[in-house]
Amino acid sequence: MLVAQSSDVSSDLGIYLPLVVMFALAAAFAVFSALLGPLVGPSRYNRAKFQAYECGIEPSPQPVVGGGRVPVAYYLTAMLFILFDIEMVFLYPFAVSADVLGLFGLVEIFLFIATVGFAYAYVWRRGGLDWN
Amino acid sequence: MTRAQLLADDPLWLILIKAVALLLLGALATMAMIILERKIVARMQHRPGPNRVGPNGWFQSIADAIKLPFKEQIIPDTADRKVYFLAPIISTIPAFLAFSVIPFGPEVSIFGERTVLQLVDLPVGVLVVLACSSLGVYGIVLAGWASGSPYPLLGGLRSAAQVISYEIAMGLSIVAVILYTGSLSTGDIVDAQASGWYFYLLIPSFLIYCVSMVGETNRAPFDLPEAESELVGGFHTEYSSMKFALFFLAEYVNMVIVSAFCTTLFLGGYMAPWPVSLIGDNYFNTGWWPLLWFFTKTWFFLFVFIWLRGTLPRMRYDQFMRLGWKILVPANLVWIVLVVALRAFRNEAEISATTILVAGGIVLVVLIGLSFLLPDRAAPDEDSDRVPVTGGGYPIPPLDLVVPDKDAAAPRRVRRKRQTASVGAGAEKETEQ
Amino acid sequence: MSVMSSVLFLAQVQPVPSPAPAKIDPPALDAVWPILIVLAAACVGVLFEAFLPRHQRWPAQVALSLLALAGAGVALATYLSDAPEAGEMAMFNTLAVDRPALFLWGTLLALSVGAVLLIADRSVEPGGAFVATAAIRPGTVQDRAQVTATGMQTEVFPLTLFALGGMMIFCAANDLLTMFIALEVLSLPLYLMCGLARRRRLLSQEAAVKYFLLGAFASAFFLYGVALLYGYAGSVRLADISAAAAGTDRSDTLLFAGMGLLVVGLLFKASVGPFHTWTPDVYQGAPTPVTAFMAACTKVAAFGGILRVLQVAFESTQWEWRGVLWGVAIASMVIGAILGLTQTDVKRMIAYSSVAHAGFLLIGAIALTDRGLSGTLFYLLTYGFTTLAAFGVISLVRDSSGEATHLSQWAGLAKRSPLVAGVFTFLLLALAGIPLTSGFVGKFVVFEAAIDDGMAPLVVIALVASAVAAFFYLRVIVLMYFSEPAADGPTVTVPGAFTTAAITLGVLVTLLLGILPSFALDWAAGGAFAIR
Repeated sequence: MLVAQSSDVSSDLGIYLPLVVMFALAAAFAVFSALLGPLVGPSRYNRAKFQAYECGIEPSPQPVVGGGRVPVAYYLTAMLFILFDIEMVFLYPFAVSADVLGLFGLVEIFLFIATVGFAYAYVWRRGGLDWN
Repeated sequence: MTRAQLLADDPLWLILIKAVALLLLGALATMAMIILERKIVARMQHRPGPNRVGPNGWFQSIADAIKLPFKEQIIPDTADRKVYFLAPIISTIPAFLAFSVIPFGPEVSIFGERTVLQLVDLPVGVLVVLACSSLGVYGIVLAGWASGSPYPLLGGLRSAAQVISYEIAMGLSIVAVILYTGSLSTGDIVDAQASGWYFYLLIPSFLIYCVSMVGETNRAPFDLPEAESELVGGFHTEYSSMKFALFFLAEYVNMVIVSAFCTTLFLGGYMAPWPVSLIGDNYFNTGWWPLLWFFTKTWFFLFVFIWLRGTLPRMRYDQFMRLGWKILVPANLVWIVLVVALRAFRNEAEISATTILVAGGIVLVVLIGLSFLLPDRAAPDEDSDRVPVTGGGYPIPPLDLVVPDKDAAAPRRVRRKRQTASVGAGAEKETEQ
Repeated sequence: MSVMSSVLFLAQVQPVPSPAPAKIDPPALDAVWPILIVLAAACVGVLFEAFLPRHQRWPAQVALSLLALAGAGVALATYLSDAPEAGEMAMFNTLAVDRPALFLWGTLLALSVGAVLLIADRSVEPGGAFVATAAIRPGTVQDRAQVTATGMQTEVFPLTLFALGGMMIFCAANDLLTMFIALEVLSLPLYLMCGLARRRRLLSQEAAVKYFLLGAFASAFFLYGVALLYGYAGSVRLADISAAAAGTDRSDTLLFAGMGLLVVGLLFKASVGPFHTWTPDVYQGAPTPVTAFMAACTKVAAFGGILRVLQVAFESTQWEWRGVLWGVAIASMVIGAILGLTQTDVKRMIAYSSVAHAGFLLIGAIALTDRGLSGTLFYLLTYGFTTLAAFGVISLVRDSSGEATHLSQWAGLAKRSPLVAGVFTFLLLALAGIPLTSGFVGKFVVFEAAIDDGMAPLVVIALVASAVAAFFYLRVIVLMYFSEPAADGPTVTVPGAFTTAAITLGVLVTLLLGILPSFALDWAAGGAFAIR
């Protein structure tokens, strides 16, 4: 549907060219900067430097990369984020053409917000939004 | 010619010039912001601030910028080296990318080429800015994860939770603006404010955006991911040299972006402010002048960032999340519903504005009243049969504790072994269940 | 964030808003009230969870769920009285409310009543078969404390209703995207419900994770299939795909690759072998009431979807794909019958039996005639009630650690409790397809339709598979009646009103459809799919 409508794809995507240029420049700058450090900076070996920063004497063995556990509350936040991000994402196209959709669109978007609102009320009341 | 057509005709060299200018703008704004921040906060705290390098210490930022590459780069042994290398790059690129859709000014002539002071005017400009601010989170989370160290991990997680929480509030506060503009293009949004800036037409949206933009950029009083008293440096604890500088850069560029975006959305973008706009048939709104207005407005917000940092203490994490999820999000939703309803009824039927306002006021009061009636959460005694989540609560030493004899104290190694053995037994039990 | 980028793409094709508001007529709702009632009740159930104090939640949720099912049933009956014979399109052509859809809705609603009754029961297992906090790690102190506590997760009721709503939409979906959304709406609650068992938490959680991961794969297959079919036909509407396939000027590769992936996703949900691998583990690990709901209702919904997709979208190309589905049906029957023989756990045995039954059902589904359709619909009705009641009985046989599902523990059950053994024997005979039970009539009509459609070899294989499967049903019966009971064997719990009602419902329907099947056969033969 999307591709079929625009017969000349290249001209449609042409407006994104500056974005690509900007991306390339920013990426070049960032990679150059990241590589610059080890090139011009000094390098004086000391075993202690390469230990993870910790208070105390012996580093706790806990945070192994990838194996470390993440508190479950963060997953909850992430899931809530997805819920509301999708709500937001639906609201944008609606907002753009709200005047075209008229009263029908109004009713539909109210129903939609109410449906998400039920889930929101549930999470709120069950303490999903509280941090201890 | 429209803005988009003018921009579409830009030759490649002009695009390159603009892109390089934006890159420089980001870097320079960062350096200016750092020295200004240090100076202003110092003034607020009755101390001189940086005063060694250059006149009155104003070159301090430049000295820092030159110094950083010459520092030793240290990568901890525990780090995941590929991701560790990529993380600062991932957080820098989107920060600059978001600049490209911000309209800095109207039609001007650069080397005889008619163009607009904007890199690109996409029909989805607003989404580009939001997408970039979301992508920046990846850099932070990956930095925390790849460092292989507890403080960065916690800092990165906190930061991610914080940014995504406030991104909801931020995104929702823009919906009202889009409703009024009927377009996601940043250029159209500025043009639509010719008759009135949105910051007073849509006050709730503006206020929510302002709060969430501080949360989104991890700045005081919401700078929890970098709470140095709790987390040392936050997600970039293990970063040094230029990689650290890149995170710093990204953070400050993000501040400039959200300020510039706020200017675009709510303060009429590059348009001349009211008394100036009356002069000479709005002369000051043409040519290169609007750049001045744009940067004045943007730097006003940046000053507020500094002001907040100098004034407010850091919030606690639970307070902060509560503000985001329990106040900003619902307030936003109620406000959007009101705006949508007002607009739809105004378009549908011939209802006078006062009726709408009165009805809206009543609805608002009822809603607020209802929200106060709801108790914050269920009374705790209802959950009496809830099982405690952690084993024995806090480790409390027994009252008859005898300090162990120095000779009898078991070597650490042995104790740990015993501990793992008991854990193993527990695991066996688990599988039996 | 990825959501953002996809909207980047979508938003740019948004039309420029014109000032004149377009007139969009609100859709007529009279055909879809059953779905709306179920989903609205699910939303209200969520609010109940949010605002009711803990001790009121269980009665309120049970009442709400049963009322919603009754209300949906009434709405369905009212609509049936003056429904157009050829069916109608609802909700902007996304739902096809035709006779098969209405039959499936009725079946689903009736089965859900039984399932909700089983879920609601708190007398067999004190506090119900569901824990209050499913996230607690198995084997810990907290977990042991939780087993004895009487709190129950009442969220399971709204989840059931959401899953049911998804199933009802799935049966009636007129385009593949609606079907996909319905698939997710029905699957996600089921994944969760699998992990809520009070006993054997580790098994239960493992079942939930397995089901989720494999289900996600199957959804991805389905979605890829939809994408390819869209590329083939330029539309996701089933009727449009059918029309495109009738023409010959397009790439068959896209069509058959798309169809293959789509059907894999559907067969997974219907637990047809060789896509059945999740079935035994999930049936065994999930709380038994949820297993009953899953075994009965998911099967009905999935085969409803398979029937519609095959009959509406792919009828014109049936000679190309039929052979493959023959193979799948044979594989399913053989896997179900042979592996069922080796099982030592009653729930796993019923799971393999469901795989075998899925093979029988697939035979009916690939007979693309009206009789094939009505036969499969009838088979679904009979199988749903029988299996629901069977799981109800399984939940009654318990020892100190929960349900006693190992076959050795069922030895001599008839001496302890002749009634339960008798009921279970009757249900096993129905599953085996012995005359005077509904299972016989169901198999009969499906095989008859298959022979009419020229699939005699397949029917022969099916009969052999039935005979093999009958062996392991009979083995349980022999075990119950002719073995000495173990000294420390399980006891049979006296069921409460809810479980009794559910089992009675299942047994009565099984008996009724075995003796007087004609009225239900008439319903099932009410009409064909509406193709529009």
